[in-house]
Amino acid sequence: MLLLMVGLLSLLQAPWVYAGDEERKLEAVFIGRFASYIDWPDKDRERERFVITLLDDNPFGKLLDDLYRDKRIHNKPIELRYANKLEQVGETDVLFITLRNAAARLAATEFAHKNGILTISEAKGFAESGGIIQLDFVEQKTRIKINHAAAVKSGLKIGAPLLSIATVLRGDKP
Amino acid sequence: MFDRISIRYKLIVLLGLSAWLALVISSLIAIYSTYLSESKSSLRVLHQLTDVISENMRAALAFSDADSANAMLASLHADPHILLAVVSDESGKLLAEYRSAGLPTSSEQAFKEALQASIRKDAGILGSPLGFVERIDNDSMLVLRPIFFENKPIGTLAIISDTELMWAKIREFVLVQIAASVLTLVLLLFLSLKLQALFTRPIMSLIATMQEVAQTKNYRAVLTSNRRDEFKSLYDVFNAMLADIHERDDRLSKLATTDALTGLANRHHAMEIMRTMLTRALRKGEPIGIIMLDLDFFKKVNDLYGHPVGDLVLQETARVLLDSAREYDLVARLGGEEFLVICDCGTLDACIAVAERIRLGLEGRSIEYQPGHSLNVTVSLGVYSSEKRPGEPIETMIAAADEALYRAKAAGRNCYIVA
Repeated sequence: MLLLMVGLLSLLQAPWVYAGDEERKLEAVFIGRFASYIDWPDKDRERERFVITLLDDNPFGKLLDDLYRDKRIHNKPIELRYANKLEQVGETDVLFITLRNAAARLAATEFAHKNGILTISEAKGFAESGGIIQLDFVEQKTRIKINHAAAVKSGLKIGAPLLSIATVLRGDKP
Repeated sequence: MFDRISIRYKLIVLLGLSAWLALVISSLIAIYSTYLSESKSSLRVLHQLTDVISENMRAALAFSDADSANAMLASLHADPHILLAVVSDESGKLLAEYRSAGLPTSSEQAFKEALQASIRKDAGILGSPLGFVERIDNDSMLVLRPIFFENKPIGTLAIISDTELMWAKIREFVLVQIAASVLTLVLLLFLSLKLQALFTRPIMSLIATMQEVAQTKNYRAVLTSNRRDEFKSLYDVFNAMLADIHERDDRLSKLATTDALTGLANRHHAMEIMRTMLTRALRKGEPIGIIMLDLDFFKKVNDLYGHPVGDLVLQETARVLLDSAREYDLVARLGGEEFLVICDCGTLDACIAVAERIRLGLEGRSIEYQPGHSLNVTVSLGVYSSEKRPGEPIETMIAAADEALYRAKAAGRNCYIVA
């Protein structure tokens, strides 16, 4: 009986789980694709590898490793790093932030501004609070919000095609 | 049927028809060429549109942004000829589409099915960044191209347009061609009307001359031309033929009217001329004279000297007659040794004078029939003049002259007797 209930519960949860997986996959793909539309300051281009760092939880599991193994961004091999704390984030090109704490996120974005790092998060209000790219999935549709001022502050240039499909914040307001 | 039409109209028809046929063929080639260039041009425009949109669509497709993709495609409504535009991701799933308000659902469905089929069928072509699929038929044309991101295909963009603009241009061109053809045809007919004269004028001139010759029997006619072409040869041949006919006509006429031995008029011709002379004499109220003459003992000449000498005697006699008669008198040989002189305005005195000149002339003429040997002949003459008996028929006059001749013979020959 218990097994049956667990089975039914699993079936009921399956669509949500599937949708979540799809979103995660898209999110994982988008991280690399965002990078294609971003120009970093020249000094940061001297690194031999393109570094993507996840700060705090890793919602992707092995997905990122599978996806970016043997791939290249800006003609560089990709290195994935996983950090639990901001202090563990070293030199990186992209910082995907999953921090739940707003203050911690703010600190991370401040760090990113100083070091010319592209910040991405799906946390609500991320772009308004200084993050560069905020990803939202609403009814299985992607919403991209870009804080252009934050990108400029970080010394990053965002390509017009990406801006053309995103909701762009000029300052703190869209 | 065609044989009944005159050469003139045949030439007009042939010249006009040939030129018109050439024009129609060139027009058809021009129309087909225009169709090819217009279809290429229309597809090129659609390619350009697809290129621009696919460039902008890359980011939307990369981030599965259906709203942005739809917004980009929505701008296509500015072109009323775009029927359908479809953006699909790499799995063939529809991301965004634009559908013209005027596109029937059934057509939309058919287009989409054809698109899906093409994406599957042409997957190899669409796997290349420069690959594309284009199709054009009577009502629509399609350009389908892949969208690449970081050297990987992430989807496709297809734009389907109607072909109204292309057909409108072709229709316009065809109308211009038809108008030009009609105008040219009229000009060609006018031109062929003029050009045919180059060929028909010499022929018509030849025909007119031939008709004139046939009517007037004037074989001295000569066709002149400054041409240097085949008509010049035709004219020359025709002139040569006329000259031949004229020469043959003369020869035949001479054979028919003259005596072959003496060259004098023969009996038949003498009778014809005599009737004419009599008619004229009656009209003018003038007399006409007839002198019938016959060589004396001519049979003996033939018997003694042979016929060649006899012929020589006859020829010499003819010369004496021509010398003795007046310029406007007619001298004829009636046959054998019989001769006739018809004296125009022949009063009896004039006739007697002529007759006496003949008699004396012949009497005094030594006819050398071989070197060192000659002979003399005499002649008897019967003289008639209508001076005192105008209006008598020819037969009566001849009979009278003949009867006088008979009497001259009876009177001892070498003399003349007046009838």
